[in-house]
Amino acid sequence: MSPQRAHNEVERETGHGTDLWRVIAAPIIWALHFLFCYVFVAVYCEKAGRTADLFEARLWVMGATALALGAIFWLTLRIWRVRARSVTDDDFEFEHNTPEERHRFLSHAALMLCVLSAVAVLYIVIPALYLSTCR
Amino acid sequence: MGQAGRAIDDRYWRLAFVAITAVSLGACSSQQSALHPAGEQARDVADLFWFMTISGALVWCIVMGTAIYAVLGKKRPRSERFADRFVLIGGVVFPTVGLAALLVYGLSMLPSWTETEAPDLRIHVVAEQFWWRMAYEGADGVRIDTANELHLPLNATAEFVLTSTDVIHSFWIPSLGGKMDAIPGRTNVLRLTSSKAGVYRGVCAEFCGPSHALMAFPVVVHEADDFASWLEQQRRPAAASTGAGAEAFRAAGCGACHTVRGVSEAGSVGPDLTHFGSRRTLGAGTLPLTAAHLADWLVAPEHIKPGVRMPSFATLPDAERDAIVQFLLELK
Repeated sequence: MSPQRAHNEVERETGHGTDLWRVIAAPIIWALHFLFCYVFVAVYCEKAGRTADLFEARLWVMGATALALGAIFWLTLRIWRVRARSVTDDDFEFEHNTPEERHRFLSHAALMLCVLSAVAVLYIVIPALYLSTCR
Repeated sequence: MGQAGRAIDDRYWRLAFVAITAVSLGACSSQQSALHPAGEQARDVADLFWFMTISGALVWCIVMGTAIYAVLGKKRPRSERFADRFVLIGGVVFPTVGLAALLVYGLSMLPSWTETEAPDLRIHVVAEQFWWRMAYEGADGVRIDTANELHLPLNATAEFVLTSTDVIHSFWIPSLGGKMDAIPGRTNVLRLTSSKAGVYRGVCAEFCGPSHALMAFPVVVHEADDFASWLEQQRRPAAASTGAGAEAFRAAGCGACHTVRGVSEAGSVGPDLTHFGSRRTLGAGTLPLTAAHLADWLVAPEHIKPGVRMPSFATLPDAERDAIVQFLLELK
């Protein structure tokens, strides 16, 4: 059964298979980045002593941040094609229990989570820019 | 509700007004107020507070203004494009950028901690339930022990080396700057720079037991010369080492816990009392130091300060206790 189209709906890819992982992938990257930043710097400082300079640790944190943001960006690109287009959602009617609707809805949620995760990763890294020693 | 009901209502309102005013006026003393900065670090904290408060008020006005407009404004429908942008800018971009700006402003005030410059003065502070052991590090490295009262020179940077012997305490002089925890087995360092002479109040800012609220200390910021003479006076041994008072002090066993340099130097469980008579307060900021309070303290310290380690000396003959009180007050 094909769902009814909204008046301005266009044909797009809807995704297929069981790709629920896409929904949680970005928050997982956020969590891993968070853990890496805190655990790495804790271990670094424990080994280097309290007065040690944080420059090297900061480079690692920056690297991890670039990697995390890159991965989130790549995920976002893939989801962009599947999502329902509008934030306020007038271009697609989620009223039928079809695979297309489910994919679009989940992709929409996943896209939001991607944005949230990217912002969270940035917020985590801002304090690192202001810390100069292990103290 | 009749006339009587309205009268009662009025009375309640008046009572509520008086109560709220009284409570807020209680905060007007500037002795212990982060909003009346008397030091460089406290000024930063106060600036940060006002910046955050004004920014928060601004955001509140924008949000409430929007809500009021949504309810009372024109009732014509908006385009989907407008709605999209409104949600995107108002709900995503504005909070993200706004919070990031506030975060960056707050973080920019973090002390650099890389300072290699030596401080003008170093003071070792050990927090204990429920008092402060303080030792001034002299130029020659010799420590001058005192307790429960801090003196600082004006316009100088003091470094506090903080630790604790029992539980976690926190060293906070709101008028001079932010707080720093004193943690058993760990040494934390805090630097404060005074900028205004006066008497302030420091407190313990981490709940540490029954007398947590009674674990305070006066902070006297004075001119460099006055400070130097105060420190010189603290360096000297006790003023009176003989006489009936000193004898009574020794006989009662006070020296087992308290050091009075020149009289009894064996005990270090309790505060150093060498210049006790020159201090402003009794029991770490608990009571003003007077003969009557001190006599009460010797009889029932537990009543004045719950959880205090000092035992009662109620069993001493009155004459001996009075002699000890006089002796302690003379330790200027």
